[in-house]
Amino acid sequence: MPELRKDPLIGRWVIIATERAKRPVDFVTSHDEALPASDCPFCEGREAETPQEILAIRGGRSGSNGPGWTVRVVPSIKPVLRIEGQLNRRAKGMYDLMDGVGAHEIIIESPTHISNAADISIEQLHASLQASIARIADLERDPRFRYVLWFKNYGSVAGAGRVQHTRSQLIATPVTPLRVKEELVGARRYFEDKERCLVCDLLSQELEAKTRIVFESAHTVVLCPFASRFPFELWLVPKRHSCDFGKIRPEELKDLASAFKQVLMRLKGVLNDPPYNCLLHTAPFRHERGKAGHWKTIEDDYHWHIELIPRLTRVAGFEWGSGFYINPTPPEESATYLREAAVEAAPAATH
Amino acid sequence: MSELRRDPIIGRWNIVDTDQPAGPEAFEVDNHSPSGSKCPFCFGNEGMTPPEIYVVRPPGSAPNSSGWQLRVVANKFPALKIEGDLGRRGMGVFDLCNGVGAHEVIIETPDHQRQTADLSHEELMAVIKAFKVRSLDLRGDRRLKYTLIFKNVGLAAGASLEHTHSQLIALPIVPKRVQEELRGAERYFEFRDRCPYCDMLQQELDEGERLVCENRSFIAHCPFVSSFPFEIWILPKEHHSDFAQITQEAIGDFARMLKETLTRMRVALSDPAYNFIIHTAPIEFRERDEYHWHLELIPKLTKTAGFEWGTGFYINPTPPELAAKALREAALPV
Repeated sequence: MPELRKDPLIGRWVIIATERAKRPVDFVTSHDEALPASDCPFCEGREAETPQEILAIRGGRSGSNGPGWTVRVVPSIKPVLRIEGQLNRRAKGMYDLMDGVGAHEIIIESPTHISNAADISIEQLHASLQASIARIADLERDPRFRYVLWFKNYGSVAGAGRVQHTRSQLIATPVTPLRVKEELVGARRYFEDKERCLVCDLLSQELEAKTRIVFESAHTVVLCPFASRFPFELWLVPKRHSCDFGKIRPEELKDLASAFKQVLMRLKGVLNDPPYNCLLHTAPFRHERGKAGHWKTIEDDYHWHIELIPRLTRVAGFEWGSGFYINPTPPEESATYLREAAVEAAPAATH
Repeated sequence: MSELRRDPIIGRWNIVDTDQPAGPEAFEVDNHSPSGSKCPFCFGNEGMTPPEIYVVRPPGSAPNSSGWQLRVVANKFPALKIEGDLGRRGMGVFDLCNGVGAHEVIIETPDHQRQTADLSHEELMAVIKAFKVRSLDLRGDRRLKYTLIFKNVGLAAGASLEHTHSQLIALPIVPKRVQEELRGAERYFEFRDRCPYCDMLQQELDEGERLVCENRSFIAHCPFVSSFPFEIWILPKEHHSDFAQITQEAIGDFARMLKETLTRMRVALSDPAYNFIIHTAPIEFRERDEYHWHLELIPKLTKTAGFEWGTGFYINPTPPELAAKALREAALPV
């Protein structure tokens, strides 16, 4: 069983893999050469090479765990957390730890072997987001979990590993991660002060200034944040205030899929197919835990969004030591390049 | 002048280079590090760097000429600049200020072929003394609040030059990561009236399974909550919050400990890329009872991916107990 250990100083939890522990030699010989397409376990026709599917969007007569699907969700082959068991919270001297209970699922976004989500259709992207929403809702029913992170790694530098087949991932954790907590606290503090949502304020300021906007669609704004940590860092923000991605309306989800496709294509064009990470920031699961009023204002103060980070620079000692990032490209410049990128007009989502 | 911009939600400050912005073409991969006559840190190329701020050289030799043992120069491409006012201001929901600060490079040896672990005891002591002298000098500047000393080795760890060097950045604010650490330590101290690092030191010495090595004044161990495989901390046994107050005697023991730890890491992991960072108290004129300076050493073996960025939650594939054992058992060259 993996362990969750809590940093006694800053309160950050770390997952320690106690079973498939890597020894020095594993790092020396590990290389990230791409697995040939013929060996890809995520391609249609090789369903037996993954664990049994949890959910699939498939055509009328196809049977589960066989071909005929458009999107497939399976447990990770190498899960970082285990779904079975209780948390077993305990102490060891000054340290706190618990068992590594959680869920780790893979959303395979295309039956054909395509590596970059920029190259799949809007319909495929839409279907994979729908599958993600369904899975998040299901995981929320498990009272052991407090948060689920939806994310996507593309390219070896971004940690995608050897399988070059487009997918996103879900990891449900039994604790609210530190980074998420910071955002929630920041948003709540602003709301307490002004009774307005910080991201709504930010959005109206950005739409007025225009310098950091890449584009906007009917329901979504794509922008380079003012205090970007990384060159060409991007946010996809819904125009309608909502703390919970799962509550997105059908027309908004269609619009998001099309905006997502467009921004991925712009990134690919401007930066020559860069590796990237993409992550969803949404409200944590709001089970009442005997702390009445714990989530009292979250519906009003928090605004879900998606962060997209091309991996162009390397995080070095300064950043690790300070949590302070050096960004060589002002977001105004990044936004200009991305705005002016020649992209074929993305076809309407209703094709 | 670059800008410091503050994330309006979580309060993290970032440095944005508005002087020489890098466009898309700047991110084409360049794996080539200059050497020989092209390396700005080698003998004879002193003119390629800004003038020296601090130097160890034989008496009688001219400044900015060859013959030195160690040189500290301003970074040629500084993230922050020393001139000017902070100019803190607001912009709607955003906060920003000018990129004021110091960014210096400590060239540890003129020899292009040697790494930090190859330096002699005396040379390594000179490096640590340079860290101390430069830290003390910069604290005279009232605009500066924090001094970060760190080292990047290897391309994967963000080093652009292979000639061994460390860096110092002095900042006009106390960075978020440091504030979190200070606050955590304060909270622990409030409750127990003890320094959490002193407790950690004691528990690690008692349990022994995460210990890498030990000498008169320092221990090296793999922390119970390692975010990365083979992460190592060097802790001074005596409680001190401020690295810059290190004594001459402790400099000697620190040099020995750093050399042994780097050597063990090199043997166990076949010369990995790495970062080290000295965590110390902010610039202030008091000793903190709750904080304890230390060095964090992180070999770059894994890649930080979406999950880590999104959550600040790290997945470490190597339990620190196993890492410490491998490092303890590494066969050191005689």
